[in-house]
Amino acid sequence: MKKKQYTFKGGYRFRRIEGCPRDMLTTQDIPNEVLIPLKQGFGMGVVSLVKEGDIVVAGQIIGRDDSNVSSPVHASVSGVVKEIKLSNYLGHETQIVRISTRKDKADDCKKVKGFTSDWAKLKNEEIESILYLAGVTSLDKSGIPTKFKSSIITPKDVRSIIVPAIGFDVYNLSQELLLGEKRVLDYIEGLRILHAFMPQANIYLALSKTDMQINEKLSEAVSQYGFINIISLEPKYPQGYDEMLVATVLGEKFPFGYYAANLGVIVLNAQTILSVYEAVVKGKPLIERTIAICGPGFNDTPHLKVRIGTPIADILKSYLRTDVSSRIVLENTLVGDKLTDLSLPVTKATSKIIALPENNKREFFSFLRLGVKRDAYSNTFASSVFPFCDKTLDTNIHGELRPCISCNYCEEVCPVQIIPHLLGKYVKNNIIDDSLVRFKIFNCIGCGLCSYVCPSKIPLLELIKEGEKKLAMEGIERSSSILPHFKLKGLKEYKGITTKL
Amino acid sequence: MKIVRKALDISFKLVEKNKFLSKFKPVLTALDGALFGTDELNTVPHITDYLDIKRYMSFVIIALLPAVAAAVYFWGLRVILVILVSYIAGGVVEVAFAVARKKEIHEGFLVTGLIFPLLLPPSIPLWVVALGVMFGVFFGKEVFGGTGKNIFNPAIVGRIFLTICFPLIMTVGWPKPYIGGLGGFSKFGVDAITAATPLNAFRSENVLASFSDLLFGFSGGCIGEVFRLGIILGGIFLIITRIVNWRIPFSYLASVAIFSLIGNNLAPLKFAPPSFQLLTGGLLFGAMFMATDPVTSPFTKEGKWVGGILLGLLTVLIRALSGYVEGVMFSILLMNAFAPLIDHVVLAVKYKEPKKVTGKLKPTT
Ligand code: SF4
Ligand code: SF4
Repeated sequence: MKKKQYTFKGGYRFRRIEGCPRDMLTTQDIPNEVLIPLKQGFGMGVVSLVKEGDIVVAGQIIGRDDSNVSSPVHASVSGVVKEIKLSNYLGHETQIVRISTRKDKADDCKKVKGFTSDWAKLKNEEIESILYLAGVTSLDKSGIPTKFKSSIITPKDVRSIIVPAIGFDVYNLSQELLLGEKRVLDYIEGLRILHAFMPQANIYLALSKTDMQINEKLSEAVSQYGFINIISLEPKYPQGYDEMLVATVLGEKFPFGYYAANLGVIVLNAQTILSVYEAVVKGKPLIERTIAICGPGFNDTPHLKVRIGTPIADILKSYLRTDVSSRIVLENTLVGDKLTDLSLPVTKATSKIIALPENNKREFFSFLRLGVKRDAYSNTFASSVFPFCDKTLDTNIHGELRPCISCNYCEEVCPVQIIPHLLGKYVKNNIIDDSLVRFKIFNCIGCGLCSYVCPSKIPLLELIKEGEKKLAMEGIERSSSILPHFKLKGLKEYKGITTKL
Repeated sequence: MKIVRKALDISFKLVEKNKFLSKFKPVLTALDGALFGTDELNTVPHITDYLDIKRYMSFVIIALLPAVAAAVYFWGLRVILVILVSYIAGGVVEVAFAVARKKEIHEGFLVTGLIFPLLLPPSIPLWVVALGVMFGVFFGKEVFGGTGKNIFNPAIVGRIFLTICFPLIMTVGWPKPYIGGLGGFSKFGVDAITAATPLNAFRSENVLASFSDLLFGFSGGCIGEVFRLGIILGGIFLIITRIVNWRIPFSYLASVAIFSLIGNNLAPLKFAPPSFQLLTGGLLFGAMFMATDPVTSPFTKEGKWVGGILLGLLTVLIRALSGYVEGVMFSILLMNAFAPLIDHVVLAVKYKEPKKVTGKLKPTT
């Protein structure tokens, strides 16, 4: 099959940043205690099926709610329910079930009903039920639709499935590791299972144009399946956002602020596809994940196989550097959630834990340094001449706040072609009116690149978000500028869903 | 380094206590910032680029160094004095405004203070330099509210002011550059022999100077504009480092070439041929270092093209048809004045209907 290559204007490719996860997989010990939020991944919180003192087995469903958009939540270890408490997880209120582990039963795991290696014989309904019961359906930005209300749309609504097998971020899970050895075959099986119950959907396999090895393996393996289209993309940030994937892969306009699922498109990562395979063929419920430890704030940066619910502090204990204090960020190095409470657990949606050294030291003649290890959008540091050195990252602002000089860097990197400095000036001068909408403030996908590149260190992303909030207060809503122009699905279900966690 | 830190800390304490001195805190803060960088942390996004405005401006200065060195060679050591006077006189205005406004001192002045003297004739009296730069910084920048808010390039405002008020000083008596041996490195003032600049020579006698003379600067002209090889290299350096956006210099120079080609075919006595036009006067210097000033040129990409073409047209027309032999400064000043309008029109066209959705596709193969 012919490979097509697409890209979008703007964006920025982070090259050779220090602290990339190594191609090594370690299994994290099962913790003494796990914390299982009842709202994980895509969907709403579920109702607890257990109470304090109950004995649970790993893989047992402990929370489920068939009346709302949600997927079941499982106990990830065998043990005793100690406590169920309403707590705050990164700004969301959710019930968290605390289970203390029984070490003697560590290897037990309850399988999902109905799995079989001969899955081709299963009815669609049975596949959907296995996926739902395994909890796989809540993975990724908008979940996998089944007839069990696991997503805002139904399997029939899905037109396209985009499966990126590359990373587009500063730090990425190693696809070589995820899809290495025999996993390519499992991966293809996973895709075939999805195709089986969503036969009308085109599957687009997005590959990187630089990552040759895995590309060849995958394209060779899928070449016999006509329903899989191979597309090659540039590995630049923020290509991994659903917004950019839909725009580049399908060439469609995106209803900014809504889900890809509203368009009938779902985006599923490699790990999700593998979980689909494991659930249907092996009967494995979603109780563990591979996460990447990344950033210059760690001693070592392996990939870890962890049980869901493992407190992040347990993981940090063995890897975090002690000589610097670091900021812990989840998922996205630029705009991910900053973790202040380290006792919070890994959830289904966690894939990266990033540690960035908090650098509040002043540096003598900082602006005159050669900068072999400094990353910059402009070619003003030696790092552009010596690209073979790993570059470092920290949370220092690297300069003083200055007025905008209209250098246009922010416009050049903006992936959705809006002019951040213009919007920033409007918001700063408190001009909140229709012109902001005209300049497409609602198209901002919040990638943070504009603030990243600004030499005047203007917090453009914050200004834009502030502008959106102020517009809402004046009664100018996003929906009024988006809805009339799209035929969106699942709008009723869309209300009240948050993807965080 | 530790001693410097201590000295700064002590002066900060002094300034804090003394009422009169406390007005000068911006000066100290600027020094402190330049020496030690910042200890501030990001909120969101968690990381930022290492480039800051100090480094940004330093790169413009680095790109100007070949032209400055050549200027000293051609016109003698007095050039250094001229530059110093420009920095000091302009700096006084800058600091005065920072003190009055209780704001920080901005780095933009470092570039203005160096570009301005390079635009002047080599035999310029020092008091004129001081007057021009003060006028430029005051009326070109500070009255608009400082760096980032100015409409006109301050260096050009100062230069045009001098051209209008002191036409004799600014247009008569172009000395010949020192060439050979140590050149001006061993002399103080400019050569006493004067000669017409290539542009004047074309205007009055229709002679074209040789290209190598123009390229290496072996002909009369303003202090910084004659060593064109160095200017071209400096400009390319800025474009490669992304400090300067390539659109304006490219469209400016290209349109000068095209318009002068057309003009030269129609009226060869009025319009010089393109290659001569490109290499004479302050065109290269203006195109590389002044028309590209991001604050005063149009900020939209399309606007940059429009601005560049407008510049080219104006420059060729002024050179051929007006009373002045050189039109670069006036063209840039006019372009500065039109920049907000150009941007406004571009934005109005580009963002016409509110919902034209973005994220365009571009298949690359
Ligand atoms: S990057 Fe910063 S300084 Fe440059 S145009 Fe944007 S806001 Fe202005
Ligand atoms: S304006 Fe929004 S979409 Fe554009 S670069 Fe900034 S954060 Fe990203």
